[in-house]
Amino acid sequence: MNFPGFSALIHAWWFLLLIPLIIFYFLKLRRPRMEIPSLALWRQVVNDQRVNSPFQKFKRNLLLLFQILLLCCLVLAAMQPYLSSGTQQHQNLPVLIDTSASMGALDGPGGKSRLDEAKEKVSKLIDDLLPGQQLCLISVNGGARRLTDFTSNKRLLHESLSQLKVSQVASHLEDGFRLAQALSRAFPIDSVMLLSDGNVPHEVEFELPFKLNFQRLKAGGPNIGITDLNARRSRNGWDVFARVEGSKDAKTLAEYELLQNGQVIKSDSISIEGTKAERLVFKVAAEVAISIEVRIKPDGFDSLQSDNVAYLDLPKPRPLAVYCPTDMESFRKALAIIPDINLYPGDEGSPTAVDLKFAQGPLSSGPEARVNFNVGYVPDDIASLVEIESGLADIVDWQRTAPLLQHVQLLDVQIGDQPKLTKGVTERDFELAGYEILAQSRTGPLILERSGGGRTDFQFLFHPDRSSLVYRVGFPILVQNAAQVALTRAALSEAKALPAGSLPPRKVQPETEYRVSGPEGFTDSAKSDKDGFLMGLGAPYVGMYEVTGESEPQRIGVSLLSSQESSMSSVEKLNFPEVSVGAATQTVKTDQPLWGWFAFAGLLFLILEWWYFQKKPAGVPG
Amino acid sequence: MDNTSQFTSLLTNATLSRVERMRMLPMRRRTNRSRGEHLAGKGGTSTEFNDYRDYVAGDDMRYVDWNIFSRLNRPYVKQYRHEEEMHVVVLVDASASMQFGDKFQRAKQLAACFAVMGLLNIEKVSVFACQHAGQTPLILSPCTGRISMKRVFKFLEDIPPGGDFPIEQAVESVLIQHRGRGIAVLLSDFLTFGAMERPMNMLFSAGLEVFAVQLLSGIELNPELTGDLRFVDSENGHTLDVSSVGDLLGFYHEHLNGLQDYLSTLCRQRSGRFICLDSSQAIDDILFDVLKRKGWVQ
Repeated sequence: MNFPGFSALIHAWWFLLLIPLIIFYFLKLRRPRMEIPSLALWRQVVNDQRVNSPFQKFKRNLLLLFQILLLCCLVLAAMQPYLSSGTQQHQNLPVLIDTSASMGALDGPGGKSRLDEAKEKVSKLIDDLLPGQQLCLISVNGGARRLTDFTSNKRLLHESLSQLKVSQVASHLEDGFRLAQALSRAFPIDSVMLLSDGNVPHEVEFELPFKLNFQRLKAGGPNIGITDLNARRSRNGWDVFARVEGSKDAKTLAEYELLQNGQVIKSDSISIEGTKAERLVFKVAAEVAISIEVRIKPDGFDSLQSDNVAYLDLPKPRPLAVYCPTDMESFRKALAIIPDINLYPGDEGSPTAVDLKFAQGPLSSGPEARVNFNVGYVPDDIASLVEIESGLADIVDWQRTAPLLQHVQLLDVQIGDQPKLTKGVTERDFELAGYEILAQSRTGPLILERSGGGRTDFQFLFHPDRSSLVYRVGFPILVQNAAQVALTRAALSEAKALPAGSLPPRKVQPETEYRVSGPEGFTDSAKSDKDGFLMGLGAPYVGMYEVTGESEPQRIGVSLLSSQESSMSSVEKLNFPEVSVGAATQTVKTDQPLWGWFAFAGLLFLILEWWYFQKKPAGVPG
Repeated sequence: MDNTSQFTSLLTNATLSRVERMRMLPMRRRTNRSRGEHLAGKGGTSTEFNDYRDYVAGDDMRYVDWNIFSRLNRPYVKQYRHEEEMHVVVLVDASASMQFGDKFQRAKQLAACFAVMGLLNIEKVSVFACQHAGQTPLILSPCTGRISMKRVFKFLEDIPPGGDFPIEQAVESVLIQHRGRGIAVLLSDFLTFGAMERPMNMLFSAGLEVFAVQLLSGIELNPELTGDLRFVDSENGHTLDVSSVGDLLGFYHEHLNGLQDYLSTLCRQRSGRFICLDSSQAIDDILFDVLKRKGWVQ
């Protein structure tokens, strides 16, 4: 049993008011006078009553008793009593609330969502806040967003909590923890509370600097959803692939529909049982850009609606446009054997923009491209980090899984250019400059990749013509990989549906304000950069978004496409690099404030006293 | 009704007319030796036959029953009842406590009624009104006959209320002045601190049969009081602080019943009568219903 504690014991001094209360009561006591024929009977009655009622003195001062009780209740309420839960109390408590897509899952037909349940728990936490305690509400979905500062303002906290909505994106807890860690620099934080349905990755790449109270909510009900939608170029158009998965307890039939530009072109039904995935394959013939939409309609209860639709935009089929200067003979020869490409410069000149550009100098020359392949040149931004000298170098390590270097054997390749790092420069400096090292010699990096701003640059610090690479089998594979990367970037070979979270970078008018509007009244705006790339537009909900600006409005479909979220699985514990945190077995326990009860009792005594005081004895002259 | 046509302000003419035909019924025959209307034993000269006895020398020959003598040839003398006078003493408590409710008015009305009954039955009627302790009671000296009715009413109408004369002392001071046997009608609320045994004994010793009428108002019979009060005695101004009066009403009723039982026992042991009346009850109901049913009057 826990005994009540007091948060503001200093207010006990108010009990001293009992002294003047009692004094003034007796000084001010006035009894109504009432003339009666004779005291003869009443005197006997009073004598008899004194004998029979030892508590007469107590009863005769009932008003005083009420006043004492009223004062005691008020003082006790002012002392902020609370019933201790026995758990350690934290003055500053960040509360991470998972608002990923799975938190929108219902627990049953007509039931409440996981987020509603989390809100109830947090609401109780807010109501039970004691003086000196502060909460900071943080919403965690694909990213993290601080809803409030550390505050004890219950109205503000409740208001922020009520505005919290589910974002139809997958969970990414690291951002929430990092935000809490950032807060800990300004406020002392011992513990962080996480409210989630457990539908999060097992592994969390974050070093926990504080205790974590993982309050796991009950998982949602049975669910099936579309977890993947992509398309691959075929001879006559596109092969569209969709994957439908269910949660562990899902066992239902579902109808699916394939819509092309809003028209149903195919519908059928599938059976989903458990986590076993069903793969749907459609063939779509298209000579122009089309919009594909896949919908499923489960027969039974489906706890999550947002994963029942997926959108895919397929571009107009066309050959890959590649620019390769004529003096890069070896590359042009390797490109010539790749089918379905237009190689520039050719007979009809060069376009202003291509999909893949090869260069051996600054990239500013020639047409613009999303994928650039630059050889024998050190970009200006890393010129201070590395310089190329004459001398032999060989590749000692390379990223075999990188798209560019897949199936390319670089062992024993002799290179006539030798990189030399500036003194004190490490790999970290290249990373800070935005480069990833794909291949490295003993003395420095040889192949770098930089992605960002909607384009990818491969920087070969050496020239392949001054190496044995061009004579290796791997060279045409390398060029083909580069073409494949360009095909992928241009969505010419395959296309993937866009997951919710943010819209991918788009090439638009440079330095122009664009506005995006989407489902649930979502709006956002951003300005394209000087290269004409529009980035950073949010898309937290599943549905169609419209980007408007100076050019024609563009419609973009965004889907959930998360196997994790659709599975409704729930992890028992979160694995951090050094520790594991299990889900709390007990619900959120807080100290129970009691001041409200005392205030209510005080009000009750006040009403009783008022009634007793106002009750006019019958027969007493007015 | 026009007051000017009323014989008295105490009673309506209709009530008075009915009262005039009523008489009191004492439990015992307590009469004066002086001749009156009440039969008081053999040897009298009334017309009420009582018994026969053998003739003895010296008897008045007028009382010999000659019909018997002719049949039996022996003289017998007829005996007649003796008729004596009864004195009705009416004592009206005029202290301040009688001012509550209709007690005093009802006491005066009842006193008038009993006096009328006495006067019209050829009894001696005297009325005493007790007001202030230590002072001589107001007295209406013994009178009789219809001719005295106006005096009696005038006396009763003029009794001023207010005073502090306890009933037990009032009885003693009345008995100092009173002579004669009969009926003593006590009209009071009997709310006194003193004991009533002594005055009751004195009344009994004086040959007076007690007709004790306790008159109580509604606030005394059924007080509806709550809260903390300071009671003030109407007669002596003494105060009594009482808390939570509502909780004490049970005790109050117990003590009130106890007082009534006590007075009833005192009267009954002395061949008297006791009745407690609600002063708010109509005088006609009291006279023609309650008292008749109780056998006080006929």
